[in-house]
Amino acid sequence: MSREFIESVGIPTIQVLIVVMVVPLGVAYLQLVERKVLGFMQVRLAPRRVGWHGLLQPIADALKLMIKEDVIPAKADRFLFTLAPILTVIPALAALAVIPIAGRPFALFGYEVRPWISDINVGLLYLLAISSLGIYGIILGGWASNSKYSLLGALRSSAQMISYEVPLGFALIGAMMLSGSASMVQIVEAQRIAGWWYVAPQFLGFFCYLISALAETNRVPFDLPEAEAELVAGFHTEYSGMKFALFFLAEYTNMIVVSSIVTVLFFGGWLRPFPNVEALVWLENGWLVVGPLVAGLFAGWLLDQKLGTGLRLMFAGGVLGSVLGVALAATDLGGWASFQLPAVSGAFWFFLKVSFFLFLYIWLRGTYPRYRYDQLMSLGWKWLIPLSILNVVGTGLAVLLAA
Amino acid sequence: MKGETVTTPRTAATDVSEILRRLLLLELWVGLWVTLKNQFRPHITVEYPKETVDLSPRFRGMPRLRYHPENGEELCIACHLCEVICPDDCIHIVSEKKPEGKGKRLVSFEINYERCCLCGLCVDPCPTKPLTAIYMSHDYELADTKREGFVAPLKVLLDGSQQKEYRE
Repeated sequence: MSREFIESVGIPTIQVLIVVMVVPLGVAYLQLVERKVLGFMQVRLAPRRVGWHGLLQPIADALKLMIKEDVIPAKADRFLFTLAPILTVIPALAALAVIPIAGRPFALFGYEVRPWISDINVGLLYLLAISSLGIYGIILGGWASNSKYSLLGALRSSAQMISYEVPLGFALIGAMMLSGSASMVQIVEAQRIAGWWYVAPQFLGFFCYLISALAETNRVPFDLPEAEAELVAGFHTEYSGMKFALFFLAEYTNMIVVSSIVTVLFFGGWLRPFPNVEALVWLENGWLVVGPLVAGLFAGWLLDQKLGTGLRLMFAGGVLGSVLGVALAATDLGGWASFQLPAVSGAFWFFLKVSFFLFLYIWLRGTYPRYRYDQLMSLGWKWLIPLSILNVVGTGLAVLLAA
Repeated sequence: MKGETVTTPRTAATDVSEILRRLLLLELWVGLWVTLKNQFRPHITVEYPKETVDLSPRFRGMPRLRYHPENGEELCIACHLCEVICPDDCIHIVSEKKPEGKGKRLVSFEINYERCCLCGLCVDPCPTKPLTAIYMSHDYELADTKREGFVAPLKVLLDGSQQKEYRE
């Protein structure tokens, strides 16, 4: 096999396999994190019977879902009923193909490995197109179930998606105009050259995108398609076993995708904070700072929970950890601590930002009640669409005047 | 809004602050701050089979019988008062005359926990002094797998049932 073939076909295939293998596991643990965080927000303990502090709970859940009986209702359309979950999960996973997790290609075993699966020049359009495909699965699933709750959930879902697709697209256009490209890698490169993350000039766009994305992924407070108080479980009322698990996987994969898009477009992807300030170059070794900081915070928090001493030990642990981390990163232990790999540093900052947005989604879920249907519509049409159009026009004018 | 009483008079300053409050989504931030703070409060969960809540002394669990504190025989004098007062008819006593001396003694004493409503009325008329022969214990784990298990014979009433230990 030629070297070119391996680099253009072999390595992306392995990357695809890694994504398809790792993302479901990540989703399972994301769900554990969600249950934990929601539990702590409600001053209770989250799952902790399976494994240490519930660490094996996702494995147990996955096993349960695999073993459970897969019921297909007698009057359901069997073909579409089976097709629907597949149709939701594949676009969700496919969207991850254009997400770059680090900046420059690096060499592995003599072959050049790019830290993204594919960098197409219409990456943003691809993302918009593929993420709206997932809705078909929801609508088909609701219709094929032949149940009133499923159908109502699917109808709500389609109306909601149509309303929120528009501000979602408009919100992204601003970043595209500023960078002059629709390729995800080029957008981050433009942010590095500009020297700031696009959240500063594009705050309005970021805000509109965050809210529309929340609605697009059917998360609380916009989870009307599966509003359990009104519609039992919405479009997946009749689903069980592995088919339900696929819907579940799609929802959480979409969360990851949306967080990645926010990170890449508005928060500089793999870039460290203030990417042009030379004095902050030790932030490239960001994991050296954040590692001890998180470890200190966590150890202090565990002790606090045990001793009931409020939060003093947690703050102490955090201060100690951050001091240690900054010292470690600034001195670099004589070149030993950093691996001199831009890909590792980039991946660290990328995943840190993505985790923050995933946490934000859970945080919002733990805080806000569900919107009423007409409120959801009026928010989308009367506020988000005008705001995002304003953002597009404003950005366009600014770009025109600056040029 | 209709029906809402306005306490402060409207001025330009209150208008501006109201507009700012809405524009900056102030209430949403307050909500987020509440949930963020709550994450760091010590939890209040009692992990039941492993830990249990403290019971108050007057807690009424399953009614049980007492041994005589000195001679170790059952304290009950078989007067049948608890059987009479029981609103659920869940107590069933068989007694016989003592072979020597006065009074009666128990042959069998059964409480059917399927019917017992844990009201504690059986304790009130119990004539033995200073301790009552029947008392409301602090056992509350009533579940069983078969109906016969709910009819407690004399031995169980005196010694308590074997509770299964919780192991992690």
